[in-house]
Amino acid sequence: MTGEHRHIGRPVPPRHHERLVRGGGRFLADLRAADVLHAAFVRSPLAHAAVAGFDATAARRDPRCALVLGPDDLAGRTAAIPTVWRLPGQPQESIPVAVHTARYAGQPLGIVVARTPTAALDLAEAVRLDLAPLPPVPTVADALAEHAPPVVPGAAGNEAGRIRFGSPAEEIAAALARAAVVVEREFTLPRVHHSPLEPRGVLAAYEAGTGLLTVHASSQSPHAMRQDLCAVLGLRADQVRVIAPDVGGSFGSKVFLYPDEAMVCAAAVALGGAVRWVESRAENFTGAYQGRAQQATARLAVSGEGRFLAFDADLLADLGAYATQAGAGPHQVTALTLQGPYHADAAAATVRGVYTTRVPTGAYRGYGMQEAAFIRERLVDEAARELGLSPVELRLRNLIRPQDLPHTTHTGLTYDSGDYGAVLRRAAALAERPPPPDDPPWVRRATAVVAAVEISAFAPTALLEAFGIAWSGWEGVRLRINHDGTVTVHSGVIAVGQGIETSLAQIAAEGLGVPLDWVRVELGDTDTAPHSDLSAQASRALTLAGGALVIAARQLAGRMRALAAGFLKAEPEQVTLRIAATADPSSPEAAFHGAGGARITWRETAHRGYRGWGRAHRTDRIRLEESVDFDPPQLTFAHGAHAAEVAVDLGTGRVEVTGYWAVHDSGVLVNPLIAHGQITGGIAQGLGQALTEEARVDGAGLPVTRSFREYTLPAAQDIPEDLVVEHLCTPSTVIPGGFKGLGEGGAILPPAAVACAVAAAVPEIAHTLTSLPLTPSRVRAALRAAGITAEGGIR
Amino acid sequence: MSARTVTVRVNGVVRTEESEHHTTLAEHLRTALRLTGTHIGCGSGDCGACVVLLDGEPVCSCLVLAVQADGREVTTVEGLAGGGGLTREQRALIEEHGLQCGFCTPGLLVRMAHAAGRGGGEEGVLAGHLCRCTGYVGIRAAVRRSAGDAGAGR
Repeated sequence: MTGEHRHIGRPVPPRHHERLVRGGGRFLADLRAADVLHAAFVRSPLAHAAVAGFDATAARRDPRCALVLGPDDLAGRTAAIPTVWRLPGQPQESIPVAVHTARYAGQPLGIVVARTPTAALDLAEAVRLDLAPLPPVPTVADALAEHAPPVVPGAAGNEAGRIRFGSPAEEIAAALARAAVVVEREFTLPRVHHSPLEPRGVLAAYEAGTGLLTVHASSQSPHAMRQDLCAVLGLRADQVRVIAPDVGGSFGSKVFLYPDEAMVCAAAVALGGAVRWVESRAENFTGAYQGRAQQATARLAVSGEGRFLAFDADLLADLGAYATQAGAGPHQVTALTLQGPYHADAAAATVRGVYTTRVPTGAYRGYGMQEAAFIRERLVDEAARELGLSPVELRLRNLIRPQDLPHTTHTGLTYDSGDYGAVLRRAAALAERPPPPDDPPWVRRATAVVAAVEISAFAPTALLEAFGIAWSGWEGVRLRINHDGTVTVHSGVIAVGQGIETSLAQIAAEGLGVPLDWVRVELGDTDTAPHSDLSAQASRALTLAGGALVIAARQLAGRMRALAAGFLKAEPEQVTLRIAATADPSSPEAAFHGAGGARITWRETAHRGYRGWGRAHRTDRIRLEESVDFDPPQLTFAHGAHAAEVAVDLGTGRVEVTGYWAVHDSGVLVNPLIAHGQITGGIAQGLGQALTEEARVDGAGLPVTRSFREYTLPAAQDIPEDLVVEHLCTPSTVIPGGFKGLGEGGAILPPAAVACAVAAAVPEIAHTLTSLPLTPSRVRAALRAAGITAEGGIR
Repeated sequence: MSARTVTVRVNGVVRTEESEHHTTLAEHLRTALRLTGTHIGCGSGDCGACVVLLDGEPVCSCLVLAVQADGREVTTVEGLAGGGGLTREQRALIEEHGLQCGFCTPGLLVRMAHAAGRGGGEEGVLAGHLCRCTGYVGIRAAVRRSAGDAGAGR
């Protein structure tokens, strides 16, 4: 039926890229706005302090000043931002916009609005803060120390709550008791900056007459932002419209409303006008939420035959100054996915949230799964070493086999489909190559292969309800054939550079059997996009919006066919649709054909349909539009295996990744070009975390990494030339279209792969390779502690 | 106020606008001249998103004051193809998926245009440009492809 229009599986470049390469991007800072004023923030210069005074007299007296809102003003104008996913026992249910105690350096205390950006910055500096310093609590160890200064009221011992997932403690204890080998290690995954190339930004315009607030925001989730803004500002849902223009990367950093963004909107309401704030890079480094921030004590018990008996972990989650909307969510996902793609007799993990006087942490690409993979794969590697087994062999012995699927883990995740062994073996085979003959004697080189599953289709309503997570997990689409025969898709997911608008267009075009350029995908406007709290997060956009679109296209294609059959005086199954590849909707080459040469064009069918003609019954629907809400029956699991080859310089401690091979199974690939780009981009971010990235503060808790000079993102020369990505395909059994996620998969495994490869290259220091990043100084210290030097390494 | 007029020939068109002394060329292009294709990713010359050609040489326009560009020639991403067909570099970047969010792309394209025909090595083109989306795989392929296309005399 749609043989001429197979779009799924075609590597089509995203169509809007032509606009972007011509300089026609519409990012937040690019938007035109009439009479717009500019905002800057008064931020805390200290990590911990009581705000005794906020004196804006001088700023307010300046003729360039439009408005200053300090803590007291904000308290009268804003309510706190609600949280949606809390730890049991979490003392703090919301995030105040107005604060009288600064809990991290960079925390916004007030907002200044002026005629120009420069004036706003000047005037923000003119505000005189009276701060009463409190002792900083920069690390988890500081926070958990006896007599530690309290960070958040009501949090005894600075604990934000705790939760345990998985097997009962007695099953873990029994497994440990019968093990031949128990490997226990302490792990650290430091705080990292997402560093999207476009920082955050908000343009808020309030019309006092109509009471309408229109907010453009560099956001990954406009509907969630609207809900939070309604709560903060006391506005009705239909008074607030949030629109995401082009978004210059996010990776989890733009998913929630931040207090500073809320202040911009409060200022627009107060002024009855338009206010824009574009975050500076320094602000992004100090004020935007960070990722990871996890410490773990974890153990793996293995039998003498190399069978996994138990995974067990105690996770400490550095939440920072407050729990964000999803709080310890990423760490809970670490607990849930610790078992990964393996069988084990038992698996469990405990998460404890900890408050510190640092910027809060939250979602980052790989969301807890990267942490789980690092802990798990390093433990597996260490166990293999102790048992004298090949690490690949030990993994293959324990991987869940295709015939075992579906399989439910000890934490209650049901894996649907895949061939974990095939993927691992393929990655290992790709990585196999003879060492180069010219390595100097002070360089050691080795390869490691690691494996993980990737949660996608997050999340079925029942699962979110069971966890008490106040988000919608389903995803809706509206698919419309317009009166001229063109096709428009509305979806609640967001484009953040991942090309989702093109992938969705491919699904719609194939489902309807039409050329790709007939389809336009509209995203990002809460007035027109179907509701979506989670939007483009959690490797879910393609699986859920795509799955919904498969259903909608099937229904709408059937309605068009029935209409055409009516006009052609035929039965629907006697009608054939033939559309030439380059036809437009009104062309004779785009028509339904009946008996005896009768035909009606696609456009004429749609046009008559919109007049209400051709309906079998008076009560039949008229608009050629299908609205589908897809609530997945369960999660679907993508999976992958990565192999890294590293060269370790025994003198300097420098680790160079000399080859990288990634094999993924994300079900049916809609656009292999986009899929490949998602995986390679994720790998680059993961390599950054493996080798260089760490958000640091000094002893007073003040940020040290404040620009790209102190915080090293991977540059082109840091990514190996030999970077190979392959895909196997096991269609999802629970998602229409067979799709699985892949947005995070690339980022999940690189730290594990690199650390395990370094361990293979220098087994003498393998047991120490449990903290990221593996900087030259950290590796060199481990080498020297093991008595290894460049000279001694000469063999 | 500390302002003066600044005249630049941007993408072949002479433009005269007021600029304050402290305004960077990047801000002047974006605000006074409404050429928002030049993006500001860091404001400190580290990311390369704001690279433009000043009298034919690539500079980070966030590190140059608008007044320093007075009387000089500037080429921005908008001027590479003009209103016409895409350049070899633009086509290569699209076909090799060398962009995702597109925020870093304008500066990179200006750099690639500058390197075209000069035979600058791949590493030379990519040094000084950060991309957080692509992992550089598509970018490197695009740089090679456009260099190869140039070599083929097209």
